[in-house]
Amino acid sequence: MTTSAPESTAQVVSSEEIRDMLLNLVASYLEQPVTDIRSDVKLLDYGLDSIFALTLCGDVEDEYGIEVKSTLAWDYPTIDAITGFLHEALSERV
Amino acid sequence: MSHLAYAAAAEFDRLLGDPRDTGRLFSHARSLALDEREEFPLEICRELDLLGLPAHYVPVAHGGALRNFGDTLQIVRTIARRDLTVAIAHGKTFLGAASVWVGGDPRQARELGAEVARGTAVSWGLTEREHGSDLLAGDVSAERTAGGYRVSGEKWLINNATRGDLVCVLARTAPEGGSRGFSVLLIDKRRLDPTSFRTLPAARLHGIRGADISGVAFSDAAVDHSALIGAEGDGLEIVLKSLQLTRTLCAGLSLGAADQALDMATAYALARHNHGKPLIELPQSRRLLARSYADLLTAEALTLFASRALHALPGELSITSAVTKYLVPTLVDQALARLSRLVGTRSLLRGDTFEHGRFQKVLRDHRIVGIFDGSSVINLNSLINQFPLIARAHRRGPADEAGLRTASTFTEALPDLDPAALELLPRRSSGLLHAVPAAARELRSLADAGAVPHSLAAHAAEFAEVLEEVTERIGRHKPTPVAAPAHAFKLAEDYARCFAAAAALQLWLRNRSAVDAEATHGLWESGLWLECCLVTLVGRLRPVRTEHLVAEGGRDPEEAVDRLVEPLVAQHTSGQLPSLLPYSRLGTPA
Repeated sequence: MTTSAPESTAQVVSSEEIRDMLLNLVASYLEQPVTDIRSDVKLLDYGLDSIFALTLCGDVEDEYGIEVKSTLAWDYPTIDAITGFLHEALSERV
Repeated sequence: MSHLAYAAAAEFDRLLGDPRDTGRLFSHARSLALDEREEFPLEICRELDLLGLPAHYVPVAHGGALRNFGDTLQIVRTIARRDLTVAIAHGKTFLGAASVWVGGDPRQARELGAEVARGTAVSWGLTEREHGSDLLAGDVSAERTAGGYRVSGEKWLINNATRGDLVCVLARTAPEGGSRGFSVLLIDKRRLDPTSFRTLPAARLHGIRGADISGVAFSDAAVDHSALIGAEGDGLEIVLKSLQLTRTLCAGLSLGAADQALDMATAYALARHNHGKPLIELPQSRRLLARSYADLLTAEALTLFASRALHALPGELSITSAVTKYLVPTLVDQALARLSRLVGTRSLLRGDTFEHGRFQKVLRDHRIVGIFDGSSVINLNSLINQFPLIARAHRRGPADEAGLRTASTFTEALPDLDPAALELLPRRSSGLLHAVPAAARELRSLADAGAVPHSLAAHAAEFAEVLEEVTERIGRHKPTPVAAPAHAFKLAEDYARCFAAAAALQLWLRNRSAVDAEATHGLWESGLWLECCLVTLVGRLRPVRTEHLVAEGGRDPEEAVDRLVEPLVAQHTSGQLPSLLPYSRLGTPA
């Protein structure tokens, strides 16, 4: 499927960068300092409900220019889990 | 004579016969008598089975007759125009089956298709006594066993829970729940150990009194593994996608309600005299009729677009269906309230004095449509949740202009229904809203060429301005993960109205040369219906105080809407129902 998403040049993105990006994203949703967010806690436990979690995929796509399933945060319920998935997906692209 | 879009519905109507004829099985007299007795319309539902209605709930891919969703929707509207209780009681089977069309494997879908075509009623068990619409709070559980699942717990306020042999149940398959903790099971009550479930008594109701709104309680009910629809944990995703189909279908119920109320009110306004004049000649009566008709036309245009978009733009149905399920029942509630002011005391009479008491019945019956299958609040909340994606899609620009053209143009062939193309969120923009400035320019050229009044072009230009403000506000909206703030609901309402106005613009522009101008009594030529939709929608988006405007020497903007009375009366007296497209009333010469 083609999208007009910004084409990011394929390069290796480290797990740390991905995790930081997600921590900042979730912190901004919750309006909490990023230091209060843990990457091994379920997003649901932070009060990010199941439908809201879907909107995460849009930000991920904007950031990395890859298309992910809208159920990303359902299948990978913590920041660590999403990081693992994205790191693999982005590495395959390279 | 009926427009092609309504041909399947008209044929159904013809088979059922004139409802004013008390000798017919599905007559007004029988519907009202059943309602008085709070009795389920069993014989009428059987007649609908014999006439083949259930096949219209089954996609052709699974052996049914559903090729064009709009046909099924318009048939449901035809039934609802006679009696909402019947339409809801019978149509429930589509809701019950939708999860299988969305998530079932080919064998499951074919087997269910055959069951439905035989007339088996299918129920949809989502809500529970303590949790209402909060699906992820559901307590009904399905525990894995060697051969399948053991189901326990209670589903309550479920349409046809007692009468339906099959119940499609959303059950918790992971004790901790969560987005992947629920699954859909198609449970065949006929095959359960009778001691492992019981049905709960039907609730007594304000409207649709004869409907079976009851419940079912399972206690260690053993179901086979083949009952699982999709994979374990897919339940929420399947249900949310199924709701996109069913919420669109609900528009047919509202349209049928508005059809009958406006038809009764028009007849009354023509026959009734006050102070020596027929009501239809009194300015306030004309205004009430015209505003109601404008609401019906807006709802009808949106529904026509949505039912085509379901085929042509399936990836955006999360938006289209939420807009439709919010706005169509809301517009019809509004029209019903206005029309009951026109009809006065008679709108409340039971018995034979006025239209068999149909007016009070439709007022009561329609109340539920804005609540079930996701209430207005739920649908607005769904739009709010999608704001970030809407804003993002809007920034990216239109991606599927061909899909938009197909959704808007009656004569274009529709692709088959493809449940696999449904998305939980819109991934790209169809360009419906992007297309508004160009549509406004198109109307400006038509006005310059004398084909439409300049006032129409001006209203379109004003709408384009309002739309820009609304899109800008959506772009600025800060998503809130827990409870959306009250002001965001107003923004979602505004978005829905913009969507409806944009759909109306496309429908008129893409079909104006193909629709028979004479048969529609002036609704289409010079863009009359479109102008009335724009005036009423923009009037809500950017309210002005009419009395101030007129006092300062300005024009009453709703005067344009009053012009709808003429085609309304012309349609009525020539034996047509009030509608955007020609549709003959039964029992009158065409």
